[in-house]
Amino acid sequence: MNAFLATYAEYWADWWPRLMDAARVTAELSAIGFAIAIVLGALLVWMLRSGLSALRRTAQGFIELLRAVPLLALLLAIYFVLPSVGVTLSGYWAGAIGLGVHGSAYVAEILRGGLQSVHGGQREAGLAVGLTPRRVFLHVTLPQALRVMLPPLLNSYVALLKDSSLCALIATNELMLAAKAISSEYFLPLHIFMLVGLLYFAIAFPLSMLSRWMERRMAQGRRTVGAA
Amino acid sequence: MPSLDTFTLIALTLARGAWTAAQVAAGAALIAAGLGLLLALLVVFVRHRVLQWAIAAYIEWMRNVPALAHLFVLYFGLASVGVRLSPLTAAIVGLGLVGAAILCDVFAAGLRCLHAGQREAALAVGLTPAQTLRSVLLPQMLRVTLPSLGNYASQLVKDTSIASAIAAPEVMFYARNLVTSTFETPLIYLTAMLLYAAMVLPISWAFTRLERNAARGAR
Repeated sequence: MNAFLATYAEYWADWWPRLMDAARVTAELSAIGFAIAIVLGALLVWMLRSGLSALRRTAQGFIELLRAVPLLALLLAIYFVLPSVGVTLSGYWAGAIGLGVHGSAYVAEILRGGLQSVHGGQREAGLAVGLTPRRVFLHVTLPQALRVMLPPLLNSYVALLKDSSLCALIATNELMLAAKAISSEYFLPLHIFMLVGLLYFAIAFPLSMLSRWMERRMAQGRRTVGAA
Repeated sequence: MPSLDTFTLIALTLARGAWTAAQVAAGAALIAAGLGLLLALLVVFVRHRVLQWAIAAYIEWMRNVPALAHLFVLYFGLASVGVRLSPLTAAIVGLGLVGAAILCDVFAAGLRCLHAGQREAALAVGLTPAQTLRSVLLPQMLRVTLPSLGNYASQLVKDTSIASAIAAPEVMFYARNLVTSTFETPLIYLTAMLLYAAMVLPISWAFTRLERNAARGAR
């Protein structure tokens, strides 16, 4: 055990800066991917709630298909297939877009569920007191829906962060690829992959806990029928 | 336009990968369900501080680290200390251990939402604790957990694609090989995606059906 830890001490100065550089790429990748997922997810929800059945069906089909295809297949398709129709993306952008498109299906479900959880009477009351539909959505429906959406959204960010490790397979220089490179230089795969696992854990675990805490916290403030 | 021979080659090779993917998914599901249930029973019925803490640590570690990292530790990491697993074994064990953490949470939540009276009544009419578990608690738990189990199953089939990173010969592994030998990139990846959809969609439809059937008996 001591020998195992001593190895870390020996190579720490070499590994740590490289891993930190790669961790920054992972952070960017997951942040851009999540932003795309939110925007695209919101668009999908808008389509799902629209009056046009063609839009609704397109969004439904898109979500169902996305949920049936592995992220890795999507990433490889974006990275290797799009160039044949003239769109060449770097591993970084192919990764961010792939993560975003894949995440949008899950985000859309969360947003839709959150909006549905707000009682219809809230909207009717807002309209009845003379607010415009836009204001009703922004000031009445959305704030109440956010309460329900935030914890699962945080969870889906954690999932996206973990999924960003797959971008290593399309040559994006993020944490996992850096780890692979280091492990093939130093022949210490067990040390490296445990350390990288720990790095992911150090970000993902607090966020998971925060999500669980928020869920409990938000459940507390909500008054339900019958409970005074 | 690719020739018919090329198309047949692509279809047959990817189908071979799908068979491997099915084996990985089945093996991992078996480990996940078995170990997950065992852990869930320990979490719910055994009140032991250290044990609870150890299981919680296992679950958090498995759930907050990418599956790819787990596979790399099992495949490359263990090999470096003398434990050589085949890619297939590493994939099955890795995905199975991750799945056990997910299913432990699912099963524990399912058990906790059953009324305590169910267990008390079963014991009161003279069933042994084992019989109570098997014929009273587990069937009811299974019914409430069906939606989560369905999600897990389709996620698992998709996650088998990650095993290509440790050279397990599944769909994405063959897809990448085919690309370098035939250069039919769009056709190959499109077929691979459709193949996954063809595996995943029936699973989620089957679970929706199961839920509907199971709900019929519920009061």
